[in-house]
Amino acid sequence: MQSGHSTDLGEVLTLWSTLPFAGMLLSIALFPLFAPRFWHHHFGKISAFWALVVSVPFLYLYRGQALYEFLHIVLADYVPFVIILTALYTVSGNILLRGTLVGTPAVNTGMLLIGTVLASWMGTTGASMLLIRPFLRANSHRKNRTFMVVFFIFLVSNVGGSLTPLGDPPLFLGFLRGVPFFWTFKLFWQMLCVVAVLLTLYFIMDSYFYRREDGTPATGTGENVPLSIDGAHNFIFLAGIIGAVFMSGVVHLGEVTVLGIHRPVQDLLRDGILILMALLSLATTRREIREDNEFTWFPMQEVAILFIGIFLTMMPCLKILQAGEKGHLAVLIRTVQEPYHYFWVTGVLSSFLDNAPTYLTFLSSLLGKFYAGTEAREAVGMVINGNSIYLKAISAGAVFFGANTYIGNAPNFMVRSIAEETGTPMPSFFGYMIKYSIPILVPCFLMITLLFYL
Amino acid sequence: MPVERILFPTKFRELSFNSLEQLFVLKQAGLKEIILCHVISRESVGFVPFGGYMKDEEERLREEATVRFEDWRTSIAEKGMDSKIVIRVGEPVPQILHAAEDEKADMIVVGKKKKALELPFAGSNTLEIASRSSVPVLVSKYMVHYEIEGEQHERVNERIFERPMLVTDWSEPSLRAVDFLKSLHPVIEEALVFHDIDVEKVHKKHTQDLAGLKKVTIEKLGAVCDELKGEGAACETHLGAGDVLSEILRVSRDRQASMIIVGTTGKGRLSEFIHGSVSHEVVKASELPCLLVP
Repeated sequence: MQSGHSTDLGEVLTLWSTLPFAGMLLSIALFPLFAPRFWHHHFGKISAFWALVVSVPFLYLYRGQALYEFLHIVLADYVPFVIILTALYTVSGNILLRGTLVGTPAVNTGMLLIGTVLASWMGTTGASMLLIRPFLRANSHRKNRTFMVVFFIFLVSNVGGSLTPLGDPPLFLGFLRGVPFFWTFKLFWQMLCVVAVLLTLYFIMDSYFYRREDGTPATGTGENVPLSIDGAHNFIFLAGIIGAVFMSGVVHLGEVTVLGIHRPVQDLLRDGILILMALLSLATTRREIREDNEFTWFPMQEVAILFIGIFLTMMPCLKILQAGEKGHLAVLIRTVQEPYHYFWVTGVLSSFLDNAPTYLTFLSSLLGKFYAGTEAREAVGMVINGNSIYLKAISAGAVFFGANTYIGNAPNFMVRSIAEETGTPMPSFFGYMIKYSIPILVPCFLMITLLFYL
Repeated sequence: MPVERILFPTKFRELSFNSLEQLFVLKQAGLKEIILCHVISRESVGFVPFGGYMKDEEERLREEATVRFEDWRTSIAEKGMDSKIVIRVGEPVPQILHAAEDEKADMIVVGKKKKALELPFAGSNTLEIASRSSVPVLVSKYMVHYEIEGEQHERVNERIFERPMLVTDWSEPSLRAVDFLKSLHPVIEEALVFHDIDVEKVHKKHTQDLAGLKKVTIEKLGAVCDELKGEGAACETHLGAGDVLSEILRVSRDRQASMIIVGTTGKGRLSEFIHGSVSHEVVKASELPCLLVP
């Protein structure tokens, strides 16, 4: 199979072909909101439905070329995506922070800061899973806990993940498309601004509530367990994951053909190492640690099931965008012109749609805008050299704005789920936006726009 | 070690109550309270993809379980015992083990209440609880369909404490199993005490002759029986030779045992994988309820 006509496909596809992608994303956005029980039991069927809606007519109409494109997106994007998320989730699920922490404003701010730093290295999901239970335990004596969890979602589950491809799924997809491992460090100053504002605001709010609650002491109410980390050896496996991903970005070992798709050997090696790290982590860590972490495979199953639908339905949209002004989404490419356009459009859509496909969509539109018809990896390199501010805008928009809603990024709903389960009331979908993300995050993002994109 | 508090986890499957009823007789042996436990799986209420936690669904499932338990509690109260409802959310195995610990249960009752022909006598969760529990675990098998040498059978296990068969290898757990069996004496009609001699191993070692070993073993079995008789329960001894699992099954069927009691070392997975676990093999292969004593 050859991909020689891939650009042609992007030029001939009509907007109708993007409807299954829209349907898939809207399903993720709306079903949990309006029919959670139905969605919970049938999300796999819904994902399969949209995948079939796109793949059957495509395979019928474009046969070999469509098959090539579907296989390419599955082997080059979906499989590595699921492998990295599973590896990070597994290794972080085998690390357990024990001990008695008393949730004072200083301790809480410190925990949020640590989580923010860890998020770029163990993934927003991994850092969230590692810290949310200790964070909630430390504050179980506090009356007002809702805002704490919201800031946890802002910082640990989203903004903190902006520095490396391990941090947040969109950045890993960018890495797979040729963005260098350390390039995302260029978002450091933007991240620092947002983190500084949010942590300061958090500290002020927490201090205010702490005083109003008379600084209710938690000490002396139970057994004082010293702080410790169980399963600390898993940091070795985490280092192995970081090393493997970094290696795949700098080493070139040639290519092999898998099901007609050319795959770089170093990428396959990376995926093999990631699987090995996850297996070693499982084999060398006591089951009780996972149990105390309430570790379950269910969230990863969800990701695997939902994202096969997302990736397959996304293919036509990506092809059209990569065709640039020759494609049927030329109007979008012409309208979104300035870096701050990219920041806000990517961001707002990332708030309501999953940020990984949104990032890939706008990365493709960027490639189509500047280097239509050029092979994706090569075009990414050209963007980095000549128009990197656009890529920064897309990357920052996708990662930062994921915090705007519960559905913007996968760990958001996991954190919400755990908080609610352990008795912390959380706002509704719109309550979260109206009370927290719009008044707190949107001004932060305006500040970023002024400082970095105007 | 009298059994005063039993943890009875249930998924409310068919025949669960019938299985519970088999425990009522233990009041004569000192049973005071039955803790009715239901674990709501986290997957059924939490981690709704991109949604969150379905608190309403948890409340609904809790209420459903409570209503079902209330009926059972009435029956328990009629028998003059106390009961308590424990409903947890999470993974079944650790939640059941934690519940047993928190409630200071003396025994956990698990297992399928109705076994279809194609299913094993015990599932992986049951075996995991059995291998990790620090208190005895009764794997109840109320109604079983099974096959022996191509012939299909159906059996309802009632009056399970009347003819218990104690399998002993003289290990620490099996000696604890003797103590446990003694605590059940008021409900035992006749106990069977069994030991298997691995003839092949004895011949290989050449350290003692088979006849001598047999004599010593019979004496030890007799001593266990005497202890049980001292508590007022009738007792008979049985010696097996050869493959231990086949012998346990054969004797339990021949002598119409009502349950099998066996000590378990609670080996880790690796050890179990390499050496196997007789107690687990018995649970998986026998149609009788099995009581594993750690």
